[in-house]
Amino acid sequence: MNPVISSRQQVLGRIRAATGNPAATAGEAAQRYGRLPRDYQIRGKLPVRACQELFIGRLREYDAEVAECAPDELPATIAAQIEASGKRRFIAPSGVPNAWLVPAAWQITGFECDIDHGLTATEIEKAEGVMTACFCGVADSGTIVLHHSATEGRRVITLLPDWYLCVVRASQIVETLPEYFDRCKEPPALVTWISGPSATADIEMTRIKGVHGPRFLNVIVVRGTGT
Amino acid sequence: MRAVAEHEVLAEHEVIDRPILDPALAPPFPVAALPVLRNLQLRRNVAHAIDVIQAKRARLVAEKPDWQALRASASRIKDEALQNLGAYLEQFEARCAAAGGTVHWASDAADARRIILELLREEKADEVIKIKTMTSAEIQLNPFLEANGVRTYETDLAEIILQLGEGEPSHIVVSALHVNRSQVREIFARRMGIENLSDEPEALTAAARNYLRQKFLSVPTAISGANFLIAETGSVAVVESEGNGRMCLTLPRTMITLAGIEKVLPRFADLEVMLQLLARSATGERMNPYTSLWTGVTPGDGPQKFHVVLLDNGRSSILGRKTEQQTLRCIRCAACMNACPVYRQTGGHAYGSVYPGPIGAILTPQLEQMRHAQSLPFASSLCGACYEVCPVKINIPEVLLELRARVTDQERKQVSRFFDSLYLGLRAANVIFSRAWLFHAAQRMGRTALRFFTRKDGWIHALPGIGAKWTQTRDLRGLPKQTFHDWWTDRQRRTK
Repeated sequence: MNPVISSRQQVLGRIRAATGNPAATAGEAAQRYGRLPRDYQIRGKLPVRACQELFIGRLREYDAEVAECAPDELPATIAAQIEASGKRRFIAPSGVPNAWLVPAAWQITGFECDIDHGLTATEIEKAEGVMTACFCGVADSGTIVLHHSATEGRRVITLLPDWYLCVVRASQIVETLPEYFDRCKEPPALVTWISGPSATADIEMTRIKGVHGPRFLNVIVVRGTGT
Repeated sequence: MRAVAEHEVLAEHEVIDRPILDPALAPPFPVAALPVLRNLQLRRNVAHAIDVIQAKRARLVAEKPDWQALRASASRIKDEALQNLGAYLEQFEARCAAAGGTVHWASDAADARRIILELLREEKADEVIKIKTMTSAEIQLNPFLEANGVRTYETDLAEIILQLGEGEPSHIVVSALHVNRSQVREIFARRMGIENLSDEPEALTAAARNYLRQKFLSVPTAISGANFLIAETGSVAVVESEGNGRMCLTLPRTMITLAGIEKVLPRFADLEVMLQLLARSATGERMNPYTSLWTGVTPGDGPQKFHVVLLDNGRSSILGRKTEQQTLRCIRCAACMNACPVYRQTGGHAYGSVYPGPIGAILTPQLEQMRHAQSLPFASSLCGACYEVCPVKINIPEVLLELRARVTDQERKQVSRFFDSLYLGLRAANVIFSRAWLFHAAQRMGRTALRFFTRKDGWIHALPGIGAKWTQTRDLRGLPKQTFHDWWTDRQRRTK
């Protein structure tokens, strides 16, 4: 007898012996699930601007650098952030808009940016910084949500470089976490929720920035509805 | 021969120094707590860490007006998952497999260890990087893998401190909270070979980052636990702070996830409740820095081989018991131990299990199917602070009482009870208290006997035998000349 199969039967057998076998149809199970109480706050209550300000305030509490700009100022704002960072070797995901990378906007000596078409970990490790878009921003907890689409990049590129710049459009900001889940038409296969730079408090509960992930988190909030 | 003997003496000495977290071998709670209560440094470290977390948690919970509604939903979601666990696990298995993952089932710890070792042998892995997982500590995976020629590298900062310092976890979230910065400095300087290491947390954290960076980039196999399994999609979620989890989840070729069967949630959207509760309860943050969710394998992104080992190891024996089943709602936030006045004094090691504190006091004996750790349900004052802070509303005091009753039932069947003075005393009291004439006779005898011990000041300061247990720490008022019953009878007679 295959031992793997027998463990499966054993575990499921014990579970069914304990819970009984409700043998509900899919429809009945869905109805039962639908009756679970959901009395917590689902919709946000803040006006649009206040919600953006809450998002920015929460990010700053996490020691993230936050800048705001109009849609047409985005390339210049990105350039200014990179200039100020002192970092020069960058990577970006394959779907990043060309406008972000227009060399004329930069005028930064030594700036170079590799586009990730399957870079190796060692190549990514050499980059000093990374810039991506995101799927959503949650104001209540200052959270950036990545679904790792072409503009958000593979998971590893926002992990190895020490400096991370994320562009969040105002229309992507929601107030509550349930509002983010509402925006997911289908459950995504990959998600990373990022709330501030990598941190630990394992030594005497002192919060230290930057253990293994990026030590510096920079966010640009693009005002207006420009896409 | 001589060398062997010396080695054995050393090994024995180490065992005494190192707390025992195997419930089958650990001494009872009151015995294990004694050395900790004498260790003032350890108690200071524990109290400091707990005070910091408690204050942060209280502030962030107060700013959530819908906290109680979130708790209510979370407890009902977990109950829904537990009451239909078989169906949800099979759904998880099917969806995970459809997304390219492989699901294995382990009926107990030995089964899980064997499965994981076989998977590692298939990968020809002699090294593995690990994301902190209490479940792997529960099945004592690291010593087993090391004994079978696989080196394990813990990557969570606290777990590195414990692994390099050969310590044991004393908390389920901040597992090295009993170690302070100068102790960490000593461990890192010695084991990483760094001279002139400062004891600033920044410097110590940087040392850990450098120590692990090459391991992350070169070790092709990783082991994780799971905070949540999603039945609807076959996804797994891991909640962390440092980014070591993301490293292990993205860089290796092969990922092995060990998860208790109770970790399953019905749907992806249930995370909107759980994620709001977990970080606030665990570390007093609105959200932890990183939460990752993945589904099977994704071409071009992360490990291309993915295994989940679903672990029972006693969990199914908790299912279906009306009161005890709520134990399995636990999302391992540790709020209960942070709130517990007993844990605050003893720290985690006294519980003799990788799961300390109030949740450990109910979870450990049940995982052991009441064969070990029977002292733990009594390691509580039943004050209820744990229930109040629990994000999934586990009524821990209620479960503690239920387990105390079960332990007492076990003891009732033991022959040794006939040599236990407390048991014999209570049996005698049962006979005496149910017969009025015997009761009055006993009262008279007792009063006569106690007169010998009553001092001139009207107090009894010392009693012999079992009575000394009372008078060791307190005095007893000498008995009055008459009982109320005698006085009342006299009074009736006089007024007639």
